[in-house]
Amino acid sequence: MSDIEKKSIDPATVKMLKKAQADGCETIFDRADAMKPCPIGAEGSCCKTCVMGPCRVPAPKKKGEEKSRRVGLCGATAETISARNFARMVAAGTAAHSDHARGVTEVFLATAKGKIPGFQIKDEQKLLQLAMDLGVEIGNRSVQEIAIDVGQKALSEFGRQEGEILLAKRAPLKRQEIWRNLGIMPRGIDREVVELLHRTCMGVDQEYKSLLHSAARCALADGWGGSMISTELQDVLFGTPVPVYGKMNLGVLKKDEVNLVIHGHEPLLPEIIVGVLQDPEIQKAARSVGAKGINLTGMCCSANEVLMRHGIPVGGNFLQQELAIVTGVVDAMVVDVQCEMQSLAQVAKCYHTKLITTSPRAKIEGAMHIEFDEHRAPDVAKKILMEAIENFKNRKPNADIPSETTDTVVGFSHETINYLLGGMFRASYRPLNDNIINGRIRGIAGVVGCNNARVTHDDPNFTLIKELIKNDVIVLVTGCSAMAAGKGGLLTPEAARQYAGEGLASVCEAVGIPPVLHMGACVDNSRILMAATAVVKDGGLGDDISDLPAAGAALEWMSEKALAIGHYFVASGIFTVFGVTWPTTGSEEVTKFLFEEFENSLKGKWGFEPDPMKAAKLMIEHIDKKRKALGIDKARERVLFDMAKRRELDAA
Amino acid sequence: MAEYCTEEKVAFNGKRVEILGPTFEEGKPGTPMNWRNKLRNREEMLAYLKTGERYWFNDEWFGSEKRKTKA
Ligand code: SF4
Ligand code: SF4
Repeated sequence: MSDIEKKSIDPATVKMLKKAQADGCETIFDRADAMKPCPIGAEGSCCKTCVMGPCRVPAPKKKGEEKSRRVGLCGATAETISARNFARMVAAGTAAHSDHARGVTEVFLATAKGKIPGFQIKDEQKLLQLAMDLGVEIGNRSVQEIAIDVGQKALSEFGRQEGEILLAKRAPLKRQEIWRNLGIMPRGIDREVVELLHRTCMGVDQEYKSLLHSAARCALADGWGGSMISTELQDVLFGTPVPVYGKMNLGVLKKDEVNLVIHGHEPLLPEIIVGVLQDPEIQKAARSVGAKGINLTGMCCSANEVLMRHGIPVGGNFLQQELAIVTGVVDAMVVDVQCEMQSLAQVAKCYHTKLITTSPRAKIEGAMHIEFDEHRAPDVAKKILMEAIENFKNRKPNADIPSETTDTVVGFSHETINYLLGGMFRASYRPLNDNIINGRIRGIAGVVGCNNARVTHDDPNFTLIKELIKNDVIVLVTGCSAMAAGKGGLLTPEAARQYAGEGLASVCEAVGIPPVLHMGACVDNSRILMAATAVVKDGGLGDDISDLPAAGAALEWMSEKALAIGHYFVASGIFTVFGVTWPTTGSEEVTKFLFEEFENSLKGKWGFEPDPMKAAKLMIEHIDKKRKALGIDKARERVLFDMAKRRELDAA
Repeated sequence: MAEYCTEEKVAFNGKRVEILGPTFEEGKPGTPMNWRNKLRNREEMLAYLKTGERYWFNDEWFGSEKRKTKA
């Protein structure tokens, strides 16, 4: 196997890496070889909170080396420095999700007021759901009146100064009590981010336990606040996801059509582009340059958004963004915010691709900027499409599209799972709970997060997911890990028979669902929280999320957003395993606190295991521990015995 | 839709039984499974919230939390 072949388990990625090399185009994979991570920063032992530093307090090579020597100029201990770095990452991740949410809320409110052409309230039922949660009167009021109040209430959640964020009351009652008792119930979204940044300034909070609990409060403001608001309002605006068929991988690009790749996170512009695509003027323009039509393809979380609402194909995940351009057929790539590598501008130069930034918050040197203004959204969408169309003729001869694509069925919002399990008149999580109790399903896992150029692309996520379903653990996926599952063929109902354990497969076949359920983009991890809460509330599996036979993982994480997600999973009671690297290894105490002692207070804890098979083992052991605590471990054995018995009978 | 097909299986008590085979249609779905369109008006939407989404929206039924304070 050549070095390039070891970079990814995805053949399309490997093919494009070889093409990039032949074309003399550098990618993140090359840079990952050339530049190794700084070991002191990687373990969280570098402080540059003030300019007397950076102070470096690396973990001693030999055990027992004097602790007092490991302090910065101001005396900040390795523990403080490590916890402070961790907390800052959580604050940044929360800020990213929440600022996305604020943008969505503003567009939502303007839509409700009828100020934005092209947007409308598509899902009235979801609006009513949210109105009830936010305490907005429904009565005989019009959709518009309700939506304005919902938008205003949602917007005030960001600047709320006291009390409790409103959506936290969706959590199980016991969970809410845990947060209140620990004093970490979030007050307002922005407030928690700002306070955490303050606490982590030079000379403020210098007690690592206090810092990590505050980080939990901030993360909760993400999961049950910012991220949840953005998921909910996007559903109201664009529709709650329902099962839809779609394709994944670079093979979805088309040689004879204008290819526009939409990359980033906010679904606002992509939704409008989807609408404008049918405009006869646009179609005519495409034909006039010799193209058969326009092919829209998603990348990263924007892809998840349009895939699950429209079945628009997915080009790939985070590490494939440069490689989409390397095909030589991407006429324009339009980006908004988050996870867009600056190198895209350089890669685009190697080919003919126009890189177009659209967010006033995210410009890239060397890219064209067409600002997304929601008040003239259809015009902006048309302008972008025209740029792509005009560029079609500039394609160079060295175009090559890998043939790989995979079928997927996606769109499993927690509402849809509820419906699929019971139907319109008896929608329920009961069948799921029953099958967990009787042991056909061993437990639930959320496998989320990014790609990371430090590990073989898609391998840890795919291997972990496959191992979990083989062991009868149903897996919920979001973000880039969802695409690893999709490209590997795990997102179809047929995958149940092929890959899942006998128990899980029998349930999936009966309901007609894949063993791995695609729940959306990164902000949609809030859907996992809701599904877990529904399972708790349905009964029979304890009365808190921490009682469930469930675990989370992000084995290829790279973004600060992933750390915020992991921390709100943990603070919601979920054992969560991360891979690649762990940012507090510089401090044994801090790591021990997160990996062990957190369980005493928050009933959830962190774990670190880069090896996917070992990570699966850790998660399954945790699931089995919870099954035992619930007294349902015996049921599982009995079911397995029944199966064996059946097979015996079969053979007789 | 094609004719229903049946399969023969062995039941838990060892007897051979004939059961309904797969009922899904061949091929790939062309349109999303838009179950939410079945909710035709506000009354039905609110009723569904009370029943389908009872975990959060029904006063009388709280599953594991039914004996505790209202969520
Ligand atoms: S805050 Fe303290 S440890 Fe950090 S850089 Fe300044 S002096 Fe060094
Ligand atoms: S999962 Fe990670 S890499 Fe992928 S889009 Fe989300 S934050 Fe970015």
